[in-house]
Amino acid sequence: MRFPSLRAHAAITVAVLAAGFALVFFYAPNDADQGFIQKIFYLHVPLAVCALAGFLVAAIHAIRHLRTGDPIHDARAYVSIHLSVIFGVAVLVTGSIWARASWGKWWVWDEPTLVSFLIVFLLYATYYPLRYAIEDRDRQARYASVFAITAGAFVPLNFIAVRAAQSLVHPRVFATAEGGMPPKMWVAFCACLAGMALLWTCLVRFELAAKAASAKLSRLRRALEGESYVASGSRIAPGAPSRAAST
Amino acid sequence: MPALPLDEAGKYVAAAYIVFLALVLAYVAIMAAKLQRIDRELGELADLAERKPRPDAGAPGTDARADRDARGGVGGKLFEREGSSREELV
Repeated sequence: MRFPSLRAHAAITVAVLAAGFALVFFYAPNDADQGFIQKIFYLHVPLAVCALAGFLVAAIHAIRHLRTGDPIHDARAYVSIHLSVIFGVAVLVTGSIWARASWGKWWVWDEPTLVSFLIVFLLYATYYPLRYAIEDRDRQARYASVFAITAGAFVPLNFIAVRAAQSLVHPRVFATAEGGMPPKMWVAFCACLAGMALLWTCLVRFELAAKAASAKLSRLRRALEGESYVASGSRIAPGAPSRAAST
Repeated sequence: MPALPLDEAGKYVAAAYIVFLALVLAYVAIMAAKLQRIDRELGELADLAERKPRPDAGAPGTDARADRDARGGVGGKLFEREGSSREELV
């Protein structure tokens, strides 16, 4: 499959997100129950969907890394988790703002949806200390992949558990017996979800391109300066093979 | 709970969208700073390549290639090579 260039991808992302937000504020009706505050839904839910889907994508790349040993899959898993954690921060902050406006509290601890998402988020937040606590790069990549697969299994489990739980306050919008959203809201929501998915993939490509450029730059510098060089900008673990002597 | 009036709800909605925008902008700014560093290092390497004595200096037909490399062609060539280095991606 051929992807558009990163620049075209970014332009499409901005256009779709802008169109989605325009639909939210000028096309989708206000919610009968919550009123204008429900507009946060079109931001909060697509962010959450993309963050959770990103964790699953990371798990798939981690499986491919363990099967093939190709470091590019490890890099993709790392970047997927990185972006999904950033999206997770946005989910938690926008969710808290919505909760404050809607329920009068910033956080509700007895609500399974909120707490389970927080658990998943904190689980993935431990990915970085785990990864960089290991010095050997091959072991680091292998252990990080195992972590990404194990943590990725929690995502669907978490989703099923939350759906099965008897929610106290957090609404269920999709596939409910009450009928869910009206068509105009669906259109706006789908546009925002598409825009957010494009944003996630665009940022993943952006970060991967930057990492590839940085890695090639390090190789070029080593080739020109000799083996005594230690890559200053890359996050190479101390004691990594062939560069250990110079640290 | 009844719906908040528009002037009250508007503040929360604006705050949520501004937080999202700020996060994306912060991320892009950090990445832009990284790319600037890469660009600066590439310039340093081009200078280094220019200063480095060439073993084949003076050989016939090598001047054009050497000039191109010194102007950044070395980096450009490496960057074009698909999958040339994946060892330090993370």
